[in-house]
Amino acid sequence: MITKNSRGKSFIAIGAISILTLGVTAALAQKPPVRRGPPGLSTMDKSDRTMSNQSQKLRPHRAPPIATALDKIPVGKLKLPAGFKAEIWSHGHVNGRTMVWGSKGTMFMGSRRIGRVYAVVDKGDRREVKTIATGLTHPNGLAFRNGSLYVFAIHKVFRYDSIEDKLDNPGEPVDLTQAFNLPPEIHHNWKYVDFGPDGKLYVQVGANCNICEFNPGIRGHIRRYNADGSGMQIVARGIRNTVGFAWHPVTGELWFTDNGRDWAGNDGPQDELNRVPRNQEGANFGFPYCHANGIPDRDIVRPNPCAGVIMPAALTGPHAAGLGIKFYTGDMFPREYRNVAFIARHGSWNRENKFGYDVVTAKVQPDGTALIQPFMTGLLDENTNAFFGRPAYVLQMPDGSLLVSDEQNSATYRISYSGPK
Amino acid sequence: MRHLTQIRWRLACGLVAAAICAAPTLAEDTPLSKRIKDCAPCHGPDGNSRTATIPSLAGQPKFFILDQLIFIREGVRPVEAMAPFVKTLKEDEIVALAEHYAALPPKSSDENVDPALVVRGAALALRLRCASCHLPSLVGQEQIPRLAKQRIDYMNEVMKAYRDGRRKGGDSIMAATVFGISDADILALAHYAASR
Ligand code: HEC
Ligand code: HEC
Repeated sequence: MITKNSRGKSFIAIGAISILTLGVTAALAQKPPVRRGPPGLSTMDKSDRTMSNQSQKLRPHRAPPIATALDKIPVGKLKLPAGFKAEIWSHGHVNGRTMVWGSKGTMFMGSRRIGRVYAVVDKGDRREVKTIATGLTHPNGLAFRNGSLYVFAIHKVFRYDSIEDKLDNPGEPVDLTQAFNLPPEIHHNWKYVDFGPDGKLYVQVGANCNICEFNPGIRGHIRRYNADGSGMQIVARGIRNTVGFAWHPVTGELWFTDNGRDWAGNDGPQDELNRVPRNQEGANFGFPYCHANGIPDRDIVRPNPCAGVIMPAALTGPHAAGLGIKFYTGDMFPREYRNVAFIARHGSWNRENKFGYDVVTAKVQPDGTALIQPFMTGLLDENTNAFFGRPAYVLQMPDGSLLVSDEQNSATYRISYSGPK
Repeated sequence: MRHLTQIRWRLACGLVAAAICAAPTLAEDTPLSKRIKDCAPCHGPDGNSRTATIPSLAGQPKFFILDQLIFIREGVRPVEAMAPFVKTLKEDEIVALAEHYAALPPKSSDENVDPALVVRGAALALRLRCASCHLPSLVGQEQIPRLAKQRIDYMNEVMKAYRDGRRKGGDSIMAATVFGISDADILALAHYAASR
């Protein structure tokens, strides 16, 4: 490890003195040069790129911006517990990710680079896909309230009123960008948003780097607003990149997924599933100093990095990229799934042996932690290190079945249960 | 697509007078060749640009060209100069264009490569792990572009745009990669990459 580092000289010297003093000495010896970055980016991104070799198995994957043909959608590969089955529910919504219901039964989908928002209309035996907005920058954040669709595209915020009555001609939305006053940087800033049980609109802002220090009042947190963009409050901080959260149906507590840092090895630090304990709003979840269940960062070193940090309710795997989370409240699935969270894991890129590409359940334990178990698998072939799809978000249907969006194949799968209960 | 067009042409030749067939250019424009004529003044007739800050397309990975054309058409990567040419592009035409340019041999740029900058750029590229994504030969793969033989002035400009948050519709992973490095370092990287 020490010799691999190309800040070589100081590390070799330290190695000769003593491993024990490494932390402190390293901090002194490698005082970083002041870096000039783009506006809004921290000047302290100390991500140590040389700790990884030039492995070509650590590169990001392509999300094909052309929809997979219906007969090539890998629904046949999906594996589920006994009694469950999966079918294609909708397809052709290129790179569709986030999903929300309108009050009249329209399913709206957000996306990232393709910049589109879709409306999926159920026609009984088939689904019709309409593109209601294009040319937006990562419009991943969608929420629906009182007939209006809210679209968050990085810092831009649009509200489409009475949208379900005019899907073919949505017209100009109300522009709420100024009221929300969100930071405009793109990296890790594609939005996830949702209305909480308190009627407030919850919005996340990611850290716009892999690993860096940042102003915690501006980014690295979940905040909430009144629906008009007023009354901003920070709800949880020390978060690297969450793009999925949900409220427990019984306790009302906020749970969120968070993606751990990259370029620090194959095995982690692992991604997190976090719970914001009741009466601890504003609590700190550790980033960038403390990762996973108490691992100090090795690039940004400071004393007691994990002091006061709330540990995750569960670890969700190295580079697994848990995105969407929803608690199950339906009647269709067996009783044991009541109030269990489903989490879509998009799958790793910065890991030599791929990991994730599935949907897991998180069963909340009496002590507030959660137990992670596989639910929908089959999209990753570990023997050939190949993947066939990337689950992004989950959504419960009115009949209690579960929709899973597959960004890679521009499709959704409907998972239903017909076994004994 | 390109091969198919040629094969069809040869078949047609068998049926008509040899004099016409001997003509060096196609007697009739196919929809694809018409599109390619649109692109040639800027990107070069053989896909190798000789115009400052316009990228070469020859030998780019098919998926890189395909994806970028879709992003440019959608307006998420705005390229004003190209707008009139891409608006009406259909998906199968985009695939055909991507296959066409991916199959063309890349030629070195007509710019002067500075050997001292190449050496400096090579060291930087190693430290910043460009090869993890762009491959050690920098020929790119899938959605990740070829840098080898690309124009220096274009790469220099585009890396600064990524760093300064000016590249719209880009993959923000590149912004993270060139984060905080100096203009001089970016120029060295561009010389090194072009020299490969
Ligand atoms: C009027 C000049 C012009 C024409 C005509 C033109 N382009 Fe471009 N093209 C550009 C410029 C300039 C850029 C770089 C824009 C930038 O800096 O981001 C570009 C970028 C591209 C890119 C992205 C390449 C990269 O390395 O990022 C592709 C692919 C592309 N053009 C394909 C085409 C195709 C195919 C056609 C014909 C249908 C075409 N262009 C016609 C000027 C042109
Ligand atoms: C983590 C993966 C990754 C690493 C590491 C990486 N790149 Fe990239 N690079 C990409 C991707 C993906 C794109 C395409 C971006 C887009 O779609 O906007 C790209 C685009 C580029 C482009 C634009 C080319 C064009 O034709 O538009 C340049 C120049 C470039 N990279 C240079 C570099 C250099 C130099 C390094 C090393 C200092 C590097 N990259 C490291 C992933 C990477």
